[in-house]
Amino acid sequence: MADPTAFYEPEEDELLSSLSVPVQSYNPDSNEDEYRRLQELEQHAYAQQQLMVAEQEQEQLQALEQVPEDVKRFLVLFHQAILENDLPTITTMYESGWNKLTQAHYSQTEWPEAELISPLVGNDQVFLTLYRELYFRHVYAKLQPTIDDRFQSYENICELFNYLLNSEGPVPLDLPIQWVWDMLDEFVYQFSSFASWRANPKNKNEEELEALSEAQHIWSCYSVLNVLYSLVQKSQINEQLKAEKQGNKTPEELQELAGEYGSKPLYRNLGYFSLICLLRVHVLLGDPTLALQTMEHVDLSGGAFLTRITACHVTTYYHVGCAYMALGRWPDAIKTFISVLIFFIRMKQYHTRSYQYGSITKQCERMYALLAICTTLSPGPSDESIMSIVKEHYADQLAVLQRGGDEALETFKDLFLSASPKYLNVNPPPYEDPTALESYLSNPPIDATQRHLDLFLSDVKAIKSVSNIRNLLKLYTSIDASKLVTFSQGENDNNEEEILQQLMVLKSASRTYAKPQHSETEREISLLDGERIVTNNLDFTIDGSMVHVEETTSHRRFAGFFIRNAEHAQRVFNTIKSSPLPIQRKPTSTTAPTTGGQDKNEPKKAGGAWQPKRARVAAQ
Amino acid sequence: MSVAVPKKNLADWHSPSTRPEVIHELIHGVDRYNPTNLPFMEEYLLSQIKEGTYDLFANLAILKLYQFNPQHSNPDIIVHILIKSLSSTVHGPDFNLCLGLLREPTAILHDIESDDEALTILMPKLTQLHDLIRTCQFTKFWKELDDNSEAYNLLKTRYLPQHASPIDDIRYQFSLSISSCFSSISLNQLSKWLNLSSSQINQYVTENLGWEVQGDNVKVPKNGDNDVKAGVVKENVQLSQLTKLIAAAAY
Repeated sequence: MADPTAFYEPEEDELLSSLSVPVQSYNPDSNEDEYRRLQELEQHAYAQQQLMVAEQEQEQLQALEQVPEDVKRFLVLFHQAILENDLPTITTMYESGWNKLTQAHYSQTEWPEAELISPLVGNDQVFLTLYRELYFRHVYAKLQPTIDDRFQSYENICELFNYLLNSEGPVPLDLPIQWVWDMLDEFVYQFSSFASWRANPKNKNEEELEALSEAQHIWSCYSVLNVLYSLVQKSQINEQLKAEKQGNKTPEELQELAGEYGSKPLYRNLGYFSLICLLRVHVLLGDPTLALQTMEHVDLSGGAFLTRITACHVTTYYHVGCAYMALGRWPDAIKTFISVLIFFIRMKQYHTRSYQYGSITKQCERMYALLAICTTLSPGPSDESIMSIVKEHYADQLAVLQRGGDEALETFKDLFLSASPKYLNVNPPPYEDPTALESYLSNPPIDATQRHLDLFLSDVKAIKSVSNIRNLLKLYTSIDASKLVTFSQGENDNNEEEILQQLMVLKSASRTYAKPQHSETEREISLLDGERIVTNNLDFTIDGSMVHVEETTSHRRFAGFFIRNAEHAQRVFNTIKSSPLPIQRKPTSTTAPTTGGQDKNEPKKAGGAWQPKRARVAAQ
Repeated sequence: MSVAVPKKNLADWHSPSTRPEVIHELIHGVDRYNPTNLPFMEEYLLSQIKEGTYDLFANLAILKLYQFNPQHSNPDIIVHILIKSLSSTVHGPDFNLCLGLLREPTAILHDIESDDEALTILMPKLTQLHDLIRTCQFTKFWKELDDNSEAYNLLKTRYLPQHASPIDDIRYQFSLSISSCFSSISLNQLSKWLNLSSSQINQYVTENLGWEVQGDNVKVPKNGDNDVKAGVVKENVQLSQLTKLIAAAAY
């Protein structure tokens, strides 16, 4: 399958081979039936295409000639599959065909312009818009986007959303969920990329300055939010999710609730992923409460819809965790990061080939750094396997962080800058007003990331005395505050009042609000909900000036271990039971010995969450 | 007055019971981006100020509208929102959440072409006070608040009088912090932290906080935070964790 041309093998296609003669290899591995079907499609599409091509100008035809044959073939079939809403074919072509051809022909250059290939697809504007979306995504991923690319990409995606939202009734289009997610993900990515590029008026040439002064609306926050909210509203996704959670509606009622648009998978998926994109945008714009509020009805548990797409799963948890960090809810942030990192480690083996694997890995790396921050600020027991990776990657930093002092502050800063989201300014520099722009340049305001860094560091500074005094308290069961004064080094003017104040800070630092696991009332739990919890096992009471220290010890947890292993044993047993009996070599023996050979198949056959992605998509 | 204890959960923080339904709808919908709602939202803030209620999420929605429509920013409203969040919590993220949506005061004023200096003077001051509050430097807080500076005069003449009971709100928040730490505390220390003279403190403690004065000490009722006991955390197995095992056993 490594052969990039393997996807389109035109063995007996006479029409095309009469046009030009690239040598194609036949891939004997490919599935016979599918191959035949593809060929039928191919011929059908090709007949149409012939008509169109004839009408095109000679010049463009020549340019088209330059396009490699397998690419042309791919586009024709791709178009056909989309016209027929043939999801399995679209999925394969989208997930592997496109990437293989990119590798083979366009690793350094753009794909052909949409205008160029339009004869191949009967000048189908919808397809061309989808094609351009892929075209620009490739430019952003592999090349340097120019300002024209940025503008055109914006216009193209707007055209696409316009088509989806403002056609008469829902459009007859269906796309694989991976594509829907990638499209919206890319939309937010290009928005943030443009916003940070625009935020810096330095190093822009005349032309770019002029273009920016004229196009205030391009990639503006309002327009991006507008698209995302429109998709959410059109699909009635919040109402749908809410009703599904309550679980007291029949499928028909749900369908009716979803409405004309929301009952279509395409719109439902668009709406669902828009919620996650809104979460991201709100975090980037520095509004964590609104970010979490947006996710009010989205289920984040293990089997939730968003876990079907690894990139989506990781992004969602990363941003939810970041939002919790901004709220100072460290245990919730830790829990969020750890849960997705565990998932990712298990998932890794199936994903190394995906082209997004790189960016997913990077995001996970960031979460390890954020975990180093969170666990320092709110120490407590957390998953050992993940924490051992954190300790491995950030051993030096963790040591500095725990020592405290100015050096630690510097390390907090470095870790935060490397791992936090790239915060954005809502308002661009005043490109439309040259004099204002000049004064902006001579006296640039603090940028968004710096502002959020400062806020984060103020959180850190507020509890910087905590670890010191906690360590002191560990040594005593009761101690007079005046004695603590003499023991605590550092600032020289420590007096009793100050120690008491620091103790109050310690107290509050070991209390926080955390999202409850189980609701006590009927009301559903949103991400913003929290119950007051104790985060540290060291606690104390002050009686006058006497500090009484109490330490809570926790028993080792056995039940979880036994439950996990019992379930694992059960799965192994089931696998063995369901596999075919081994062929008996010796006809004389009466009991079939269980060979180790069957167990080796076990991980592959285990269904559920760890199934390879393609198999899951096909199963939908 | 019931005994002061920290809130058990955040329900009242993200959806206070005092919030009218119409505001709830507004900040949960797309209409929160509509600048024509600003006067309405600002009015709601003023009613919070007057009645001493607090709705952080509605206030953040106002700041969000300013963020998107800088030309509509109202520095007075911003100061009121900051005072509100300052006086409503000691350790909560509220104040920083507001700051997260604001730019430097000069940039805000530039966009509305205002030369009113109040915001420029007060933002650093309020930030400084916030730092003192969250590090529990209560004595210093009162000193800094009442330092007779320009900022103080501005606060005292222009902003605080509009609030129902800002000083008492802050005092109450401080008491919450103290109550989670102390089972008993000297009257002397308490009067410094709450900025009350020895003649006022007795009355405040018994009437507003429901604590008990015993000679020179104040006894703080047990509230779960100030009466910790060494405990052993035992593993708690939920029935739901066992569903798979029980299902397997059923065969």
